[in-house]
Amino acid sequence: MKVIHSWLKEYVGAALPDAAQVEALLTFHAFEVEGVEQVAGEEVIDIKVLPDRASDCLSHRGIARELGSILNAPLAVDPLATTITLKETKQVSVTIEDTIACPRFTAIVMTGVTVKESPDWLKRRLLALGQRPINTIVDATNYVMFALGQPMHVYDADKFPQVDGTWQFGVRLATEGETVSLLAEGGKSEDRIVTLTGTELLITEKSSNTPVGLAGIKGGRFAELTADTKNIIIEAACFNPTVIRKTARRYNILTDASKRFENGPSWELPLYAQQMIVDLILDISGGTFAGLLDVYHEKQEVVTTTVTVANVRRLLGIPFTAEAVQLLLERIGAVVTTVEDGVFTVEAPFERTDLIGEENYIDEIGRLHGLTEAPSMLPPPVPLVEINAQQYYSDRVRAALIEQGFSEVITSSFQKKGDLQLQNALASDKSFLRDSLRKNIIAVLDANFTHTDLLGITEVRVFELGTVFNKIERGIGEQMMLTLGVRTKGNGYSQKDDTIVQGCLRSVESILGAGLSWKIEKGVAELNFTARLASLPAPTAYAPWVKQPALQYQSVSSYPAISRDVALFVSNNEDVATVATVLATTAGSLLVRQTLFDTYTKDGRTSYAFRLVFQAIDRTLTDIEINKIMEEVYVSVKGRGWEVR
Amino acid sequence: MEIPRGHQHPITQMITEINGIFAEIGFVFASGPEAEKEKYNFDLLNVPKEHPSRDMQDTFWFKPQDVTEPMVLRTHTSPVQARYMESHEPPIRIIVPGKVFRNEATDATHEAQFYQVEGLYIDKDVHLGYLKGTLEYFFSKFFSGKTEVRFRPSFFPFVEPGVEVDMRLLEGNSKLVGKWIEVMGAGMVHPNVLRGCNIDPEVYSGFAFGMGIDRLGVMKYGVEDVRDFYTGDLRFVNQF
Repeated sequence: MKVIHSWLKEYVGAALPDAAQVEALLTFHAFEVEGVEQVAGEEVIDIKVLPDRASDCLSHRGIARELGSILNAPLAVDPLATTITLKETKQVSVTIEDTIACPRFTAIVMTGVTVKESPDWLKRRLLALGQRPINTIVDATNYVMFALGQPMHVYDADKFPQVDGTWQFGVRLATEGETVSLLAEGGKSEDRIVTLTGTELLITEKSSNTPVGLAGIKGGRFAELTADTKNIIIEAACFNPTVIRKTARRYNILTDASKRFENGPSWELPLYAQQMIVDLILDISGGTFAGLLDVYHEKQEVVTTTVTVANVRRLLGIPFTAEAVQLLLERIGAVVTTVEDGVFTVEAPFERTDLIGEENYIDEIGRLHGLTEAPSMLPPPVPLVEINAQQYYSDRVRAALIEQGFSEVITSSFQKKGDLQLQNALASDKSFLRDSLRKNIIAVLDANFTHTDLLGITEVRVFELGTVFNKIERGIGEQMMLTLGVRTKGNGYSQKDDTIVQGCLRSVESILGAGLSWKIEKGVAELNFTARLASLPAPTAYAPWVKQPALQYQSVSSYPAISRDVALFVSNNEDVATVATVLATTAGSLLVRQTLFDTYTKDGRTSYAFRLVFQAIDRTLTDIEINKIMEEVYVSVKGRGWEVR
Repeated sequence: MEIPRGHQHPITQMITEINGIFAEIGFVFASGPEAEKEKYNFDLLNVPKEHPSRDMQDTFWFKPQDVTEPMVLRTHTSPVQARYMESHEPPIRIIVPGKVFRNEATDATHEAQFYQVEGLYIDKDVHLGYLKGTLEYFFSKFFSGKTEVRFRPSFFPFVEPGVEVDMRLLEGNSKLVGKWIEVMGAGMVHPNVLRGCNIDPEVYSGFAFGMGIDRLGVMKYGVEDVRDFYTGDLRFVNQF
């Protein structure tokens, strides 16, 4: 929700600090602030209003009230404390067939208005909120929605047929197969015709039973306002949030109106909205107020909640006095009555439809006071009552495989094809769930073989412990698989891979027991780890856990690496570490890996063969560049009396 | 040539470390399914059907013809809270590390699959101060230096009050020292969640938290793109 600082100031008054301080107050007492920016000469604060407060805080008045509570300052101007002076009229009627879906319907009639360009102050506020000003009447409805959170809809009264001298509205559920035409959506030129299923709520012109709009979501062209309009009817109603939400989701029409109605704003709002819009239109568009229709079948319940000081202390960990609790509750506009010592009944202000239980009030008290105020405490020491067998055995298997040169990977649970497809996948190549880790492990073996020099390895050994899924008779089956693979050649699988894998399984069997049903194929062995766990003894303690040394990850270069081998004869009293250091120092900063791959001794001398791997983070290296470095390496080693073979 | 030692994936290294730290204060490692019933992923966590709070997590659904009741790929590790509370009497201390799924576009800070760790402590007289103390204990150990946390108001349907947790490392050599960093969501377990799992909220209270393990890895190791955790690229894994 974007709010304008000067607009908040109009309601909060002089107590409101500058935008930076407003941001800090909201951050630590109410909402996350996404940013503050200057738009159309106004300071605009972008506030992340979450679903718990979307009923009252998708409005300037809501945010202003929140700031008033935080600042402990009553609002200077409160549009929800206005006296309603609107007189009723019989010129408009409404027939509501479902009063649960539409508990209240109000409309006002104004005559002789002049539709024109809005005054600068109004245009500026709308522009600052990212809205396009249209004309005085449309702008007024938007303005009131952003002020109070009550969506409204305007009709040209002269295009709305009158029957027996009245404009007749209807509110009813759609019939199956019925259609309604809705105003073109942003960026589209054509109106949208929606065929309905029968669960949607419609506003109709009653005498002809014609749908004129999807209630609470979007209207159509019926009795559309134009520049020539003189007489208007403005609707402000209340709708059941679930009905609005279902329809808005079904047709994927998310509007400022549906966003508000699906969060259940107070049913008391419409009259305040009507009063505000009448006053505004009289001011900016002239004309005369002709009367109000207000049909309010299901009155909003007055919710009272018992709040006990003991519970406030128990959950927040702060030793509040009863008096402090009462004062904090009164700051949000609640009416607080003492029942007995330390027990209150609390009545929420009508616009706070979110306050329904004691926990909600405890939250209010906590955040107004400051949630971090509680003293830090650790739970009293207790012994660990349970050892997780899956974690215990997983870690033991990991340790055994790592010892044998296997690195652990975690791969995607999604795949392009399979048996088990999701209802709503992200992308067509990720819409199925894996039923084996085999394919992923093979892909990992293939992809990594290119990098063996860079990694300082001659063969790729990897494993994964991960979940797979499959269809079973009564739902979805799920198992953790242990899958390991070896690749010794760059051009793909060779039989040697199977032999190595076979040999490595023994260390796993020393942990999980012999006779495991491995499935071995193409250098990859897979085991249903979950099934095996069931028959293993329950562990009694985790292996002692060792803190790993701190390390910082280095980004991987996306440019190719170049390898060069160098073999040297050195005298037997020369240390291999010295040889390695000399090579590394001379090769310089482009050397990313140095691997000793061969050693032998003959006639009092030792031969060391190293593979040097060069790579740059920002470019592709050339042979010329590397040849030059290698020349320097040769010169340097020869200078030490070592022989290059 | 001798085969050099392999490398453990940083995510499972962190899970082992997290478990080690929490085991010392009696938190049990609990686990649950990744293919989860709607009931545990949402309903019992006070996220009603057709409620705007459902939009806070984009969800992968299984096809109705494949399941006997609505099922999802769990969007968080929180369903294990409900499962554990249903089957255990308080006092309860658990952590739940595990894989979770969100049906959203991926970028350097979002993956459709990632790892979370949930924490839950239910007992008599558990208050927000225990949440603060427990997290300060954990972060101080995990980041090897005294750490403080602060709470900002937020909303998650399964807790009330709900908070965003910021942490600040006060000592050590890490680049993180001195900065407030948003790390996770947490709060006091909502009484509706307790009641749904047959725990009397008048007698017991508790805290719950949930944080991204990937995010911890970004902070701890300086990983810049969370997608790197799941590529199977040993140029990544073998640095750990």
